[in-house]
Amino acid sequence: MILGPVAQIVAFSLCALIAIAGALGMATTMSMFRSGIFLMASFIGVAGLFILLSADLLGLLQVMMYIGGMLVMILFMVLFSHDPGGAMMAGMQLPIIEKFFSLGLLPREQKQDEHDQNEQSGHGGNGHQPMEQNGQDDHAGHADHGDQDAEQNGHDEHAGQNGHGGHEDHEHMDMSMTTPIKKPAAVLAVLVGVILVGLLLLRPAWPIVAATPNPNSAEMVGHLLMGKYMLAFEGAGLLILIGIFGAVFLARAGHFPDERGREARVAVDAQPTAPEAPALQPVADADPPDAAELVGVTEIQTRRNLEKDGRGEQ
Amino acid sequence: MGVVLQMPVVLAALLGGALLTLLLERTLLQRTQTEPGPAAAVDYRHAVDPPNADRWLYPAGPVLALLGVALATVVIPFGPNLIGEDLGIGVFYFIVVVDFVVLGIALGGWGANTPDAVEACYRIVAQLVAYVIPLGLALVGAIMMAESLSTVAIVEAQTGLWYIVLQPIGFVLYLITGLMQAYRAPFLEPFAASIQQGVLHTSGGWQAMAWRLALSGVLFVVAAMGAVLFLGGWQGPLLPGPVWMLLKTYGLMALMLWLGTRVRLRSTAQMLALSWKVLIPVGLVNVLIVGMLILLGVGTA
Repeated sequence: MILGPVAQIVAFSLCALIAIAGALGMATTMSMFRSGIFLMASFIGVAGLFILLSADLLGLLQVMMYIGGMLVMILFMVLFSHDPGGAMMAGMQLPIIEKFFSLGLLPREQKQDEHDQNEQSGHGGNGHQPMEQNGQDDHAGHADHGDQDAEQNGHDEHAGQNGHGGHEDHEHMDMSMTTPIKKPAAVLAVLVGVILVGLLLLRPAWPIVAATPNPNSAEMVGHLLMGKYMLAFEGAGLLILIGIFGAVFLARAGHFPDERGREARVAVDAQPTAPEAPALQPVADADPPDAAELVGVTEIQTRRNLEKDGRGEQ
Repeated sequence: MGVVLQMPVVLAALLGGALLTLLLERTLLQRTQTEPGPAAAVDYRHAVDPPNADRWLYPAGPVLALLGVALATVVIPFGPNLIGEDLGIGVFYFIVVVDFVVLGIALGGWGANTPDAVEACYRIVAQLVAYVIPLGLALVGAIMMAESLSTVAIVEAQTGLWYIVLQPIGFVLYLITGLMQAYRAPFLEPFAASIQQGVLHTSGGWQAMAWRLALSGVLFVVAAMGAVLFLGGWQGPLLPGPVWMLLKTYGLMALMLWLGTRVRLRSTAQMLALSWKVLIPVGLVNVLIVGMLILLGVGTA
């Protein structure tokens, strides 16, 4: 499909805008998830430029690589460290560019109470109510528990509706990307850009060829890869294969059971031990019929306490 | 055809296709009584406003997913001259733009910022890693025999004999990876009932509509591409081309959905294990067999 000159300029501007805005957003946002998405957008903008240059296969390869690659990279980033920067950034006074790229992020909620959330974690998972409901509406659903219990549960649910960030104790974590070097770095980047564009413009003469590009680019690329550049192509394949072997080797379970660090860590103990008694004293004080409806560790602990109390009385 | 004319036609094809897909899927679900997954009921009337949502990424999800499906519909030929645009790299383009659905679900899930939706975001990315390579290997066989990436050329290369006869392994591989790519029955982990259908639970109003269209559309384009690659596309006796194409598409879709309900649901980890331990080796063997057939002169013009 051949575009007219106007359409070409419009398409070029759009792709260039996506590429530059994506790169700028990637460098200025503090949310790691957004940063990855902006980088992906930037590469997709560059892929659009490839397609405009009739290198459609290369452009699509770039899109495919970066959608898959960036998503997996973001997933690993988030699995290792959550995304504490986004909520932090939303509440900050920022320069205009950072402000723009942080639009739509919500600031971290203030903690409404200082109850220990871990204590009631057995109840925290049941956030199945519609989204509009907030903590206080849950009184009706959990009327069986004591008043104190329901109050706590409601707050838990409220906190539990956060999918990422904010619900752990990131209060003291500094994800700020503002460094003193930022301004000189920005000036340097603009300077390099100006020099490169200047070099392009000042180049004496661009050779212009009348030939139209081959529409069957896949075939040409294939012939080049399997002919002229075969050694580099196969070498890259070999390196990737060795990389996969290395990853499998590192990830497999160890041959030697006593070798720490190689064995898979499993979070479930064979025989779970109940936490210390004092933390759960208020639950044990509640009347016995309610205790049967509690779940998880709390239930076991309550039963043990009741048994202990019963034996004590006899 | 100019772009102005192409776009409404392609969109109409997508709308009609997605509607028929939804009807077929609903009928099958009622009969088998299995977990609905992406076909679960959604609320079109009320907008959902998740309290901690990311105001940019949350609405971007369904838009990107729908964009990906609409772009994928462009290269599907419904008749000899009934195609949005016959791209020279059509099949590869198809694989790439369907990835935008995964990107959309990841963005929508993360943006909604509820535990279930974020879980859906994680699961969909893991599923992408599981299906994308065996899917590519399933397509490579058909591309090798037709000696072209263009969908029209692939259909025309099957004039004598459909590729399902020559490449049964590739077809089975496409059935499995197609179900993974469309997030249907055994592989519906990102839309499982245990996480409240993931992104569907946190969407309402226009977003629910867009998800419905995108998720029905992705099954439609996957089945249509299967019909193009292995069942000879629009070709067939007596009936006109588009009718054959629709018959094959929905026949293949019904087969995929029905087979999917015959096995129990797979977790994401099981999907990854299946993919890397079984499907990829089988796909490589398929490529080898197809290569030998081509050397023997079978299936090529």
